[in-house]
Amino acid sequence: MTSLPQLGSSIDALQPPRKGFFAALAPGGGRILFALVVIGVAFLFAFPVLWVLLTSLRPASGVFYVHRGTEFTLHNFVEVLQQESVYNAFINSFAISTFATLLSLGVTVTSGYMLSRFRGPAPSVWFAIIYVLRCVPYISWVLPLFFVTRQLGIFDTYWGLLLPHVAVHVCFFSWIMKGFFDGIDPSMEYAALIDGCTRWGAFFRVAMPAAVPGLTALAILCWLYTWNEFLFALLLTSHKTPILTVVMAQFVHELGMEWHLMSATAILALIPALIVTIFGQKYVIRGLRV
Amino acid sequence: MAEVILKNVGKSYGTVVAVRDVNLTIADEEFVVLVGPSGCGKSTTLRMVAGLEEITAGVIAIGGKVVNELPPKDRDIAMVFQNYALYQHMTVRDNLAFGLRNRKVPEAEIDKQIAYAVKMLGIEPLLERRPRQLSGGQQQRVALGRCLVRNPKVFLFDEPLSNLDAQLRSQMRLELKELRKRVPTTSIYVTHDQVEAMTLGDRIVVMKDGLVQQVGSPLDLYRRPANRFVAGFIGSPAMNFIDVKVDATDTQATVAADGLSLSFTGQKAATLRAHAGKTVVMGVRPQHLLLDGADASGLVRFAARLSTSEQLGDQQLLDLRVGGTVVRVSGIDPSLTLAEGTELKLGAVPDNVHFFDAEGGQVLTT
Repeated sequence: MTSLPQLGSSIDALQPPRKGFFAALAPGGGRILFALVVIGVAFLFAFPVLWVLLTSLRPASGVFYVHRGTEFTLHNFVEVLQQESVYNAFINSFAISTFATLLSLGVTVTSGYMLSRFRGPAPSVWFAIIYVLRCVPYISWVLPLFFVTRQLGIFDTYWGLLLPHVAVHVCFFSWIMKGFFDGIDPSMEYAALIDGCTRWGAFFRVAMPAAVPGLTALAILCWLYTWNEFLFALLLTSHKTPILTVVMAQFVHELGMEWHLMSATAILALIPALIVTIFGQKYVIRGLRV
Repeated sequence: MAEVILKNVGKSYGTVVAVRDVNLTIADEEFVVLVGPSGCGKSTTLRMVAGLEEITAGVIAIGGKVVNELPPKDRDIAMVFQNYALYQHMTVRDNLAFGLRNRKVPEAEIDKQIAYAVKMLGIEPLLERRPRQLSGGQQQRVALGRCLVRNPKVFLFDEPLSNLDAQLRSQMRLELKELRKRVPTTSIYVTHDQVEAMTLGDRIVVMKDGLVQQVGSPLDLYRRPANRFVAGFIGSPAMNFIDVKVDATDTQATVAADGLSLSFTGQKAATLRAHAGKTVVMGVRPQHLLLDGADASGLVRFAARLSTSEQLGDQQLLDLRVGGTVVRVSGIDPSLTLAEGTELKLGAVPDNVHFFDAEGGQVLTT
């Protein structure tokens, strides 16, 4: 039998658990190891970006000695910004990403809503179509799309890149949008119907505002995806509509590899994406939790 | 203010029938409760009245007007939902005003209506808040307010209290009763909770498997259940059922089961005589079983052995074994201490003993 005084002293020895980020994740001695792993993984992802940043700040002669040399310059940025193709590519990429996002969301939000709320032949057929299209490997779309855009006479124009992007986004994002609407209680819309709304009214005035966090998350993902996209941009555009990712790749050409200029362009391309991510992070996380 | 009529109303999804042949006339200002287990079709029936669910058979009329083809917004109804269904992106004030603004009611009139509703429900301090910042009880009051401001012909309630905790539920139940007195409006109330049904309803409609089992006043259902389902559903703790075999002579009828033999005379005997030789189901409510009622006369008596007892403070519940079945008795003096296995004498007034058909479950009558 344990006597009472001993029990009392063991109560005195009890301490509240230590708080703190790592302590909460991995209590005890394991948290040092955990911290090291986290730092290691973070470094693994950050390293290429840091390397590109360093390269962009080195003169042309220094790109192969990034880890040594002490000479730094902003000249690369000045040089790429003076190139008309880079300048145009920035505008084109921005326009394509923005319009693709607006168009895609316009279609996706109604399509996702239909998949979430309605039963019957129309939603089933639509579901089957986007399911099948989703199963097709992305890369196999490109060649047919190339011929289609040629036939339609929209090759190397905004529409020629916008429409394929929207088509892909609608297939991929309708699912996510359906998920958002599944998470919104439909009785709110029923209440709106009883409160004097039509079906469209209930959708626009009640369901849509409730889906705003999800929509924002999707808008950010969609924008970033289009901004970073390379394959469609490479094959569906040419000189008239330069796209940033393609222009970047063109610094590797038959006369040599201008790593410093490519890096500078990459860093410039990173800025809008970074801004969108930083401001949108909260929404993306909240949206994906829905 | 209006009468609601449901005539042969049915709902099927393809070959699955959710509601079958509901006939119900709800008088002006009457409060009718639809009650039943989940999946019995009570919510579907309510949603058909609301216009949220297509009516696949029969006719529904509100205020003398057939509404089968009318969209919900034109039926002049208001509805309270189980999860409140408040518009999350609007303030309480805008939630209350939404329906009126849709109907192009002048702002001055809207303000007046809102002031009236919030005063009645005691939610004035919440007007500028958003639903997310409110407790469940407050949200439910706002949902009620949204109905009140509209001053509709019919109130529809779809399990409005089931998301609240037990204490708040009984408080809101009283408030609903109070509200009813001040704003008498035709109401249809759906619940799976028989206590809510008993306390709120002028009339109760018990449903099961899409079929109406019985319609009547709360006391009617309690005293004269039409079948075994209603008998078991209404009343708490639930009625005891024992399968018994009937034996009848000219003057009396005897029902017998393992460890039990009861003799009835008069009306009950006449009822049972028609089923002589057959097995029927005997039902007695736990409240109607009397412990050692030796001093009372005219009781039917049987012996039972105590298996477990539950102390509730104000009373005890006893589970007793009669042959192979367990019989529950309630309302026992809480200070009574009984050892497990004690043999007790139980008695019941013959009028409180019900008999049901063993197959269909209908109550047996002469």
